[in-house]
Parts: sequence; C-alpha cells; structure tokens
Amino acid sequence: MAFNTLAFLLFFVVVFTLYWFPLKGRTKAQNVLLLLSSWFFYGYASLKMLPGLILVTVAYYGLGLAIKSSKTERGAGALKTLGVLLGVGMLLWFKYLNFFIESFATAFHTSVYTFKLIMPVGLSFITFRLMSYVMEIHRGRVEPTKDFVSFATYVAFFPCVLSGPIDRPTFIGQLQKERSFDYDQAAEGVRQFLWGLAKKVLIADRCVYLIDPVWEDLSSASGSTLLMVAILYSFQMYTDFSGYSDMAIGVGKLMGFRIAKNFNYPFFATNVAEYWRRWHMSLTSWLTDYVFMPLNVAFRNIGKVGMCIAIVINMVVVGLWHGANWTYGAFGLYHGLLFVPLVLSGAFMKKHKLKTGRFDLPSLKDLAKMLLTFALVTIGLIIFRAENVAQAWQFICGMMHLETFKGLWMLFLDHDFMTRTGLIVILLILEWRNRKLEFPLVALKNHHWAVRWGVYVTLVCMLVMLWGKNLTFLYVDF
Amino acid sequence: MERNKVLAEVQDIFRDVLDEEEIVLTDATSADDIEEWDSLSHIQLIVAIEKHFKIKFTSKEILSWKNVGELVDSTMSKLA
Repeated sequence: MAFNTLAFLLFFVVVFTLYWFPLKGRTKAQNVLLLLSSWFFYGYASLKMLPGLILVTVAYYGLGLAIKSSKTERGAGALKTLGVLLGVGMLLWFKYLNFFIESFATAFHTSVYTFKLIMPVGLSFITFRLMSYVMEIHRGRVEPTKDFVSFATYVAFFPCVLSGPIDRPTFIGQLQKERSFDYDQAAEGVRQFLWGLAKKVLIADRCVYLIDPVWEDLSSASGSTLLMVAILYSFQMYTDFSGYSDMAIGVGKLMGFRIAKNFNYPFFATNVAEYWRRWHMSLTSWLTDYVFMPLNVAFRNIGKVGMCIAIVINMVVVGLWHGANWTYGAFGLYHGLLFVPLVLSGAFMKKHKLKTGRFDLPSLKDLAKMLLTFALVTIGLIIFRAENVAQAWQFICGMMHLETFKGLWMLFLDHDFMTRTGLIVILLILEWRNRKLEFPLVALKNHHWAVRWGVYVTLVCMLVMLWGKNLTFLYVDF
Repeated sequence: MERNKVLAEVQDIFRDVLDEEEIVLTDATSADDIEEWDSLSHIQLIVAIEKHFKIKFTSKEILSWKNVGELVDSTMSKLA
C-alpha cells in the first residue's frame, strides 16, 4: 500500500477520521488505533512477516526493561550486546546470507546450497529502530518504557515502517503526550505530502522511462545518452526518496507528530561531507552515533588517520546497509575515499555557509563546488545502480569518452530529456529560493489564499495529467 | 582539585578548541547550546581534555554524557 495509491488514501481517511473524531483527546486509545493500523499496514505489505515483526517487538520491549533492571554493569552490557547482535543477526540472515554463500561458491569454484529466504519488508529500518532503543537505554540517554503500545507503535509506525525516516527512541515521548489537532501543522502536513507526491510523480516516475531501457542495453548507448541517464538517475533517486520522505513526514504531521527530517537540499552541498549531512539524514545520523563515533573515539589518539579509518568503515557500512551486492560495498568505499582529502585538509570539520550576491545567486566558486559535488555523487550513483562493478565500470568508461562531448549538443534536441530537465530546473529554482525552509511549499502559508490555491490547483492538475503507472518507491527494496 | 576549577579549565579548553571566546559553560550546557560543538569537535574536545588532565575516559563515558556537568563529573572521578 504505497502512498501513491488509492488504497492508501482510503486507509488513511479511515484512520484519520477515527483518530481525530471519536478518539480525540484519548491518547491511549489513539495509540492503540495507531498500533493496529500500523500492523494492518505492515500486514498488507507482507502478511507472512507480521508475526515476526510482533515477535521482535516483544523481544526488544523485554530487553529494554531488562537492561534497566540489571543489577550489574556487566549484565546490562551483555543484554545490550544481545540486542545489537540480534538486530545485526537478522540483517545478516535475511539480507546477506545467500550473498555470502554465493560469493564463497564463486571464489572457490564450487556449487553450494542457497536458502530460500524472503526478506521482510522494511527490515533495515525496523532493526535500526530496535537497536538504537537498546543502545540508548544502555548509554543512559533514554528510559525504557513500560507502555508496550507506544513502544510497538514507535517500531511499526505506518508512515515510516517500510522506508523510513528512521526515528529515534525519543519518538516514544511524542506518542505518550496528548495530541491536539493543530490546523496549521495539519495544513503543513498536507502541503508536504503534496510536495513529495509532486516530486515522485512529476519527476521520478517520468525519468524512469528514459533510464531503465538504457541500463538494460548499455553497449548500444552513446556516451551522451549515458551522461543524460546518469544525470537523470541522480534526480530520480533524489525526487523518489525525498518525495517518499516528505509524504511520510506530511502524514506524521497530520497525526500530530514530528518525524525525523531526511533531506536538506543535498544538491546545494559544496563538498561530499556536506552532501552526506543533507542526504538520508536519519540513516547517516544513526550511523554517525553508533558506528562512526565509537570508532572515532577508539581511534582518537591517532589523529586524522584514525578519523579517515573511521569514516571509510562508516561509509562502507552505509553502502552495505542497502543490500548484499559488491556494488553497494564499492559505492560506500568510493564515498569513504572521497572523504579522505576533506579530512586531511580540515574541510571536513568546517561547516561551509553559502554566500550569495545580487539576486540571491551563489558565488561562482560555490557554484563550481556544487557542480563538482554533484558530478562525484552522480558517479557514485552509477555504481549504486549497476548490477555489478564491471557494469558500473562499463557505464563510466562509456560516458567519459571524447565522443560524449562531441554529441552533447544532441541532448538539447532530445525532447524527452529537455522536458525532464525543464521540470528539474523548476525544482532546483524553487528549492534554492526556499532553501532555508523545511520544504519549498512552506513559503505558501504567507501568501494570499488565491495564490495558495492557485498553486495547489496547478499541482493537482499536473499530477492528474501526468499520473503514470503507480511505480513503487525505490527505497522499499531496502 | 575543586570542581569549579575543573569546570573553568574545561571551559578554557572549549574556547580554545572551538575557537570561540564567548563560550560560558555551566553544568547544564549541552551540545544543543553551542553551535560549534558537534560529533566531530566532540572528539577533539575529549582528546584535549584527556591531554590536559592526563586522564583517560572509557568509550562508554564519552558516548553517554548528556551535558557538561556529566563530563566534569567523569573528569573529577578520574582525578580523585
């Protein structure tokens, strides 16, 4: 039941109505409704895996309480380790086991048995929520809750259960507070949902038709076509995933919650470190807290070298989190290596503030840095998208060809490319002008109602006209 | 060493490492109150504090402090 389907709309109207009318002001009853609807939502996606979700929820609920009541530090540490191992174990079993077996078989030229495993949907997001719960309790930063309904809702909250954002255990606090309907917040939620849907339908879904056929037959594509596909894929990935996140956050606001932010205009980053502070933020901040920081603490006495080792390991984990394929590992390693010069030069530590001149335009230096960062990120996404490292290499070699530049002018005659580019340019202008806001449509609230409704009607008309097949969201696969 | 003196010396280290002379620390000060204090500068601060007081924190201590008060408490316990 993806956000861009009629089934979700019907589901949400029912939940919203029950939540704010008969159950208004009754926090516990609202939470029971949220939990049951979240489990229904998850069961709708994968009924077979629902008992597993409930089982691990009960297990971590018990682990949280056991860590707190443990009489010795050693006992609490062992329970926390058990929680982490259980989470990592689930990931290894469902996501990576067959990959390890097949890699082993390939390396030693032998045939082996692989398991018929179905990966539970949303596994990577659910396990990260569960693991952070036990780690935060062990660090003493969060109290375990006795309120099972709130805890289980935190784990399975329907807007985020399949593709994030990955909220932290502090979200349980929001569930335990009374919610009153706030018209402004709800209106902002609708605007954010609409913005996310527009990015998904108008850009991401329209880029797919140009991208996928080229990937299926790389050898017959010209260099300039490959360049076009690489650029479009970066925007497809961004508008698809940030679109999904905006829709999830918008749904959260309609129910009175603040879900973790996931994107902050990543293509305006002036280096790769800055880009990762703005892209999939709920994942990168999670890994910063639980992978990078402990490594950095452990290596703190070897200075910048220690930081480089910590960041490269962290980025490989970021890559492998997406799934079991060498391409994800190579994607992570590539980004990790891009950090090395930034760490050594000290640029990694500095937060660069964009300076703008007349007409609010960036300086040429900043613009050049943004374009370079975009180019580096685009190369990374080629590795990410490829089926194997050899295919990624074939793509990159095909693109970095003198012929590519000779054929560039042909892109301007390509109607399909230019219509997508037109929409992308509009997106970038809107984002740049509103880059200090959470999302561009926030700016509408200060405009006259006629302007607001003009924009809504235009967007809805465009959505209706350009609505294609309901394509699934890219990050549902992770 | 007195607690106030430790806090004052930690404050000097913060000013030096974060290159911000205006920083004033209290027990309740947390990373939310100081813009320059993020996960990266946190490590630099720890290394500087360890060097200054000639002590060694455990990883768990470093990762669990919620505010300056807890950092100073850990430092005091090592100096005792």
